[in-house]
Amino acid sequence: MARIAGVNLPTGKRVPIALTYVHGIGSGTAHKICQELRIPLLSKLNELDDVQLSAIREYIAANTMVEGDLRREKSMNIKRLMDLGCYRGLRHRRGLPVRGQRTHTNARTRKGPSRAIAGKKK
Amino acid sequence: MGRSIWKGPFVEGYVLKKAEKARESGRNEVIKIWSRKSTILPQFVGLTFGVYNGKKHIPVLVSEEMIGQKFGEYSPTRTYYGHAADKKVKRK
Repeated sequence: MARIAGVNLPTGKRVPIALTYVHGIGSGTAHKICQELRIPLLSKLNELDDVQLSAIREYIAANTMVEGDLRREKSMNIKRLMDLGCYRGLRHRRGLPVRGQRTHTNARTRKGPSRAIAGKKK
Repeated sequence: MGRSIWKGPFVEGYVLKKAEKARESGRNEVIKIWSRKSTILPQFVGLTFGVYNGKKHIPVLVSEEMIGQKFGEYSPTRTYYGHAADKKVKRK
């Protein structure tokens, strides 16, 4: 078990894969970390020694924003838009797509599961 | 694609003139503008603009955070009252 950036415990996977379990680290960042710290891409997380693990932790702390901080920043950004009263904020408030997608059909990700319309039956 | 930097932000000329005038007179009146596509500039902060939404001028008090966005973003053009609980059940 390796504990990186707080609560995350990815284990016997290859390092670049395991690192993506941290919120805020995708495969791009994960590969970059491996490259800069000279960690072979095929090594597994449980094969790393403590020095390498702490190097990863330091790298993440110094260069990226992950987990709680990232989530907080994202929600603050959304809140800022909502307080501003601009179009994007309105869309966030309404729970509709923000970037100009159609809402006539689709948009189910933002709108959630479809609700039955009263009286629409043959 | 974003706008080229060498062009600077786009603002309709008359908006600048009106803003200047309002600034000089010192009175905080609503400045009526129709140019929704104009960028909000730093010197507009604190002024109130009436941004036309196709029907009427929506008063917008410009704050610091709005700089760089367009006036149109603060003046919604559509009204949506939601679906009324569909009048009668239409049956076929």
